[in-house]
Amino acid sequence: MLKDYRDTIYHCLKCGACREAYGVSAPICPSGIKFGFDSHYAIGRISLAKAVLGGEIKLDSDLMRRVYTCTSCGACDEQCHDAVGVDPLQVIEELKYAAVEGGVIPPEVRDFLKSMNVYGNPYLLPSADRGKWMESTPFESYSGQDNLFYVGDVGSYDERGRKIARSVADLLLRAGISFGVLGERELSDGNEVNRVGERGLYEYMAQANIELFKELGINRIITLSPHAYNAFKNDYPQWGGTFEVLHYSQVLAQILAEGKIKPSGQGEMRVTFHDPCFLGRHNHEYEAPRRALKTIPGLDLVEMERNRAEALCCGGGGGNFFTDMLGSGDRSPGRLRVREALETGAQVLVTTCPKCFNMLDDALKTEAAEERIAVRDISELF
Amino acid sequence: MVMENKDVVKREIESIVGPDNVSSDAPDLIPYLSDSYSAMMGRDIPLPDFVILPKTTDEVQKIVLLANKYEIPIYPRSFGVNIAGSALPYKRGAIVIDLKRMDRIMEINEDTMTATIEPGVSWGRLRKEANKKGLDIIPIGGPYQTSPIGNHLLTNITPYSSKYSSDRAVTLKAVLPNGEILRTGSWASALGGDVNPYFRYAYGPDLTGMFRGSMGNFGIIVEMVERLRPLAPLENIISFGFDSLDKCMKAMQAIERLEFSRTCGAYNNILTAHFLLAPHRIKTPGERERMLKKLPPFQINLGLGGTEEMVALFERIAAEEAGNWDGYPVLLEGEDKILLDQVGEGASRGIMHMYAPFSGFAAVIGCLPITHVAEINDIVKNIVKKYDIRDPYSGEPQEHELIIVPYDRCSTVYVEQEILYDPAADRSVLEPVMQCLRECYAEIVGKYGASHTIPNKTLMKMMVPSYGNILKGFKKMVDPKGIMLPGGPYSLE
Repeated sequence: MLKDYRDTIYHCLKCGACREAYGVSAPICPSGIKFGFDSHYAIGRISLAKAVLGGEIKLDSDLMRRVYTCTSCGACDEQCHDAVGVDPLQVIEELKYAAVEGGVIPPEVRDFLKSMNVYGNPYLLPSADRGKWMESTPFESYSGQDNLFYVGDVGSYDERGRKIARSVADLLLRAGISFGVLGERELSDGNEVNRVGERGLYEYMAQANIELFKELGINRIITLSPHAYNAFKNDYPQWGGTFEVLHYSQVLAQILAEGKIKPSGQGEMRVTFHDPCFLGRHNHEYEAPRRALKTIPGLDLVEMERNRAEALCCGGGGGNFFTDMLGSGDRSPGRLRVREALETGAQVLVTTCPKCFNMLDDALKTEAAEERIAVRDISELF
Repeated sequence: MVMENKDVVKREIESIVGPDNVSSDAPDLIPYLSDSYSAMMGRDIPLPDFVILPKTTDEVQKIVLLANKYEIPIYPRSFGVNIAGSALPYKRGAIVIDLKRMDRIMEINEDTMTATIEPGVSWGRLRKEANKKGLDIIPIGGPYQTSPIGNHLLTNITPYSSKYSSDRAVTLKAVLPNGEILRTGSWASALGGDVNPYFRYAYGPDLTGMFRGSMGNFGIIVEMVERLRPLAPLENIISFGFDSLDKCMKAMQAIERLEFSRTCGAYNNILTAHFLLAPHRIKTPGERERMLKKLPPFQINLGLGGTEEMVALFERIAAEEAGNWDGYPVLLEGEDKILLDQVGEGASRGIMHMYAPFSGFAAVIGCLPITHVAEINDIVKNIVKKYDIRDPYSGEPQEHELIIVPYDRCSTVYVEQEILYDPAADRSVLEPVMQCLRECYAEIVGKYGASHTIPNKTLMKMMVPSYGNILKGFKKMVDPKGIMLPGGPYSLE
């Protein structure tokens, strides 16, 4: 309930620490950068929460348009937490929850949730299509292997996501990792459903997954998406779903360290890495992908100005990948991120999340920068 | 404003800044109704009609001309922390001009050691860019994310650097409330001003100075030429502890008169403990008490800079001078040392800790000779006691935070005393804090005549009449329709 966060709301100093990253002194809030008004920064959303609590404004779809542009990237928390001890994101997500409960969500969010409810995925496609990504591949269905490779919605349905899923599974196979996949038995992890505030549906989805994992005797899960990784690792335990959860970049760093695959390298290559928010800020994993990249002969890893805990979100979190509440335009975070990557002189912009990949790849095309830089999933470099 | 007019005005604003950069929707307006003093002030602020995000001086000027045409009150704000109710839209039908998109650093000039900046530039960003050219900002007590224009020019927050004096604004370009463009200092020349905007004291009276501490009354500063300083090959912070405030002040005076420090600040142990513990460690029961035992009652943080040899020499001299007043080295390690250095350097995140985790603070500021510091410390102590202001951490009678920074080698000092409170508390707790703040100011200004901004309405009554008349006359001249910041506590009306 929003009122449970009254202290957090009242303790906002109105200082604007949520707007700019301390370490690099650069703008850090993707929706704030895009729209400019304080209502699209944590500082303004907290004011809105306070006004809702005080009965000064009604929670409605118009107000929520300012809240749903939040990508749940956690950059505001990262800044505010150390400056004045406030965690704005929990207030923002509580507003989303209140909006869902009150039935005052914008149509884009409503359509996303409807799709999740009816189809179990955001693509309005039958669940039977979930296994299509692995057609004509040697990947086995899960039947007691050591690991479940969990692909998720984007990896199952999106063309570029499927390519990345196959690339990761190939690597696991090459490294001799024992794994199976669920194919059409797989269910959505629900992380985005949670992030738009539909906690009831999220719990239902989580419990269905937990039941399935337990039924199949799954103990260890390797996820393709950092979003699923976050859900399984941080949320599922509250419903009894305690599994060993790894993101594939962590596994990759490990198998490289153990020499299970040998990176061949593709000659001299300058590369920069985009930290996915749900791997980095939400789960503090910044080094595994970098360790993996550094094993590639001839690869020169250069950092963008905003990196690790102060990385700029691509704009795809918090359900925005599906709802597109942020919209496009010159100040969209994906395009800003591509420009930042270009500034490093890198030829390749690498990431470890299929949502980030899509956001950045689209932005690259809009920026007409395909000649200068390419977007790659890390698995595609080995 | 009647609805018909409002639509017309909106269309005109849209034609100036574009439809994406203006809003009249309540959810976009509400965030501009409060600042960090709002809970304590407890004042109802009406919803403005518009918030706009201009990008250029030309857009700002057109908006101001439009506001004159329709006699619409305007309330600009720059970037970062807004305090003391200075930028809230007090009058109905107002336009809030949010300047954060004006974020260009137009120039960093290595020869003149200046930066020309817009209001959306933060101290942190300016420091980063200046550092790339071997320069740095002149340290500031404010947080990193505040705007130099809003922070030290309009609110006149100037201390932390005794070496570089308090005059950091060289010249400025402002859109006056009547829509005219003013340039000050050597920039005032219509012919050569753009070539040489680097000399403040050109052409007679110092109009840059008119804007210092003006709280925005005289115009919207759209560009400012800001002094920078050279980065020394080696820079560090050293600290000395003292058991008495008197000796601490004597040592500060002695050290400052030797003219080698880069920055200088003295704090009481309450303030230092909050810097080091807030916002998280302070919540651990007993942690503040443990820290207070570790810290001296008062301490001086001294910033040094120069070659290795120079810094070593300065360290030795500072230690000798501090020792003459029974001062002793304060040796902190790890995170404590990092935070203490952040505080000593200013424009940092650590500065924010003095308000956290409750974030409610009422700042009593006095600028006066060092001989009166102990007296005003006692004045505030007694008034806090009189109003029975409680410590928000422990619930015990509050001991306020104290910070002292020398102006101009200790000719006078800036004294800031923070009374902390929990903004989530109800009016019965907040109202006494407000009254306590008013009484502290009345007493200090009454006895020592010293604040650092345009006096608010209460304090204005304590000025010699000609002072207020001159300020109001200037305001009337540049703002004949009274559209700039009407109704606020610092409004010259």
